[in-house]
Amino acid sequence: MGLTDVFEKDVMELEKDGILFSTLGRLVAWGRSNSLWPATFGLACCAIEMMQSTNAHHDMARLGSEVFRASPRQADVMIVSGRLSKKMAPVMRRVYEQMPNPKWVISMGACASSGGMFNNYAIVQNVDSVVPVDVYVPGCPPRPEALIYAVLQLQKKVRGETFDEAGIELPMVEGWAR
Amino acid sequence: MSAGTADRAGAKVAALAEALVHLGAERADQLSGAILVVPRAAIHQAAATAREHGFDLLLDVFAIDWLTYPGHGGPRFSVSYHVHAVAANERCSLRVQLDDGDALPTVTDVWPAAAFMEREVYDLFGVVFEGHPDLRKLVTPEDLEGHPLRKDFPLGESPTLFNDGRFLDPATFRAGMIGASQGRTGWIGGARKGVLSAAIEADGKGGDA
Amino acid sequence: MKLERGRTAVQEMGRGALALEETGEFETKLMRINVGPQHPSTHGVLRLVVDLDGERIVRLTPQVGYLHTGFEKTMENRTYQQVVTYSNRMDYAHSFGHDLAYVLSAEQLVDAKVPERAQRVRVLLTELNRMASHLLFLGTGILDMGALTLFFYTMRERERILQLFEMVTGVRMNYGYFRVGGLSYDLPEGFEDKARAFLDDFPKMVEQYADMFAKNDIFVNRTKGVGVIPPEVAIANGLTGPSLRASGIALDQRKAAPYSGYEDYDFDVPTSTAGDANARIMMRFAEFEQSMKICRQALDRLEPGPIKDPDRRISLPPRRELETSMEAVIFHFKLVTEGFHPPRAESYVATESARGELGYHLVSDGGSMPYRVKIRVPSLVNLQSLEATCVGGLFADMVVNIASIDPVMGDVDK
Ligand code: SF4
Repeated sequence: MGLTDVFEKDVMELEKDGILFSTLGRLVAWGRSNSLWPATFGLACCAIEMMQSTNAHHDMARLGSEVFRASPRQADVMIVSGRLSKKMAPVMRRVYEQMPNPKWVISMGACASSGGMFNNYAIVQNVDSVVPVDVYVPGCPPRPEALIYAVLQLQKKVRGETFDEAGIELPMVEGWAR
Repeated sequence: MSAGTADRAGAKVAALAEALVHLGAERADQLSGAILVVPRAAIHQAAATAREHGFDLLLDVFAIDWLTYPGHGGPRFSVSYHVHAVAANERCSLRVQLDDGDALPTVTDVWPAAAFMEREVYDLFGVVFEGHPDLRKLVTPEDLEGHPLRKDFPLGESPTLFNDGRFLDPATFRAGMIGASQGRTGWIGGARKGVLSAAIEADGKGGDA
Repeated sequence: MKLERGRTAVQEMGRGALALEETGEFETKLMRINVGPQHPSTHGVLRLVVDLDGERIVRLTPQVGYLHTGFEKTMENRTYQQVVTYSNRMDYAHSFGHDLAYVLSAEQLVDAKVPERAQRVRVLLTELNRMASHLLFLGTGILDMGALTLFFYTMRERERILQLFEMVTGVRMNYGYFRVGGLSYDLPEGFEDKARAFLDDFPKMVEQYADMFAKNDIFVNRTKGVGVIPPEVAIANGLTGPSLRASGIALDQRKAAPYSGYEDYDFDVPTSTAGDANARIMMRFAEFEQSMKICRQALDRLEPGPIKDPDRRISLPPRRELETSMEAVIFHFKLVTEGFHPPRAESYVATESARGELGYHLVSDGGSMPYRVKIRVPSLVNLQSLEATCVGGLFADMVVNIASIDPVMGDVDK
């Protein structure tokens, strides 16, 4: 393909051909996807598996997600790991609001996603009624591998490589949203 | 078989029971161990006596709501104080019975460990402990009304929704499963070792047990 | 400034401020600080409201309930066998301990005869789990003090124990493997060799980092003499478990009222008289040895045999019988749907979990679901000692004190 063709073609088309493969926004998203720092938000049993996923055996550090930040101000992802009680729900909302944009939520475990086996007066039946959730991880508790897979999925989402139910590509996160 | 706690009621417990007789205490042992039923008015004195008898470790304070217990006649609640004598390695429970609205004196001055336990009973059953230094809810949220472990407080299950739009009420389903009512399974249970076995044996059709 | 051993420079400064205050040159105002419920060093969702006078804690109120799950109410609406799924989710660090406490209590109600092999396997798994729980405690405890490396070491060992459990139960946590009347199925082939291999490796692995606790100056300085609980105070506050034994009282339910055949095992109850945070933490190392001893003995005595009470009213019939016997199918159906009906009674069996005395108080009304379940959880009661350890001490020591009594919030809030 000659250089003149390149200038005549539409930018979108070129991107499809893989010519302009890296706009600056994409570069930012790529970098961001590889350093998703989770906020420490351990609630119950699932939190132990969350801790276990950073250990030497599973080594979540490979994905750049091992730095659990104690302060929500420094975190990108909130991993809701465990059952969310009705007393804790406002606290969690608060922590979520303290996180800077762009931010994501992983709902880890059956309890967080659906109330799990605790269908009773004390437990919030789904965390997506409190915060918007990006990735749900099934399991009770999910294995560390499952959590790592969820982080990989989230990375794809950040880079704009995911599709919705109708097969339409979801947009990548805004480059300068922060 | 594994040892229970029943055999941990020896001389110390007997001595305590003896000392509490004049307060009107009666012994009503269960598989769980020795239980001394004390009149409500005398519970604080009984607790102090137990402490003097060497029962220094308070393990638990808990309530039972007898509202739906089949054949229960007496007061609605009972509150138990599970105590252990460390030196003698013996244990027993003091138990009082009380109705809804009755208050109990606190035992935090006898066993400081009672602070959280009494708060828990207050929170979950609504039994008031007079003189407690800090009687607030312990585990439930501030805005929850009622006392969850009372038998007339609903479990609060949300119904299960199937993909085809059908709802299933867990409580009804469970009642059907265990044979308490016909439920959605349409099966009436309870015929094996439960309520109906005597009737079946009388019929002469037995032999399934 | 020459420092005596066991005191950090910060503590010295705190003392200096105290001296100033006593002479009246220094006027201070109380400051109220909220710690938690979402805080990295409170072991889950514990919330503390602390009144500070400078660096010194004047008042401390633990606020719990942020993980209140309604276990007791839910269990009252499940059949006796179904409860086993719930009990282990309470103290997720020592799941087998909770399962064991529940099944023992339920077995007392129905008077089940648990076969020898099942009891040995229960003891073996519970002790392995106790080690895993202590490992988690050591790792996160020292993480709270800022040492990240040790966390990775202890988690490495814990991973191996989890792999053993996964081999037996199929899951890494929250096992639900014990049943009222025995076990749900037998140990898999090759488990015993793997367990033995682990027990052989474990002392060597612990050796690699035991000195990083015992001889680490920072750790020793931060824990020695901090948060001392005298025995009388411990008893008055209802403290049990390793933390009580660190205050010099040898109360261990495995010895005091043996259950599950613990009377046949040869082990000691380690105690310490110091009663400070250091003693409480090092107590766990001493317990490793005892647990390993018990595990070895259990493995040695493990003989093939039945793993369930043969009574068909309690335990499910063997799988192969279902294909040939109509009666077995009926029993199976009845047990799965309706469950069994214990006679009217109350039961309680005290067990020793990794944190203290644990027991399930069950009240049966003759139905197939417990009428009342009251769980005596060690963590909630142990938490009351926090006030005794923290008040008057420095704020920085509070973290050490929380870590050293090892609360698991699922266990606290139920
Ligand atoms: S999903 Fe399972 S492991 Fe996770 S918090 Fe709920 S009960 Fe615990």
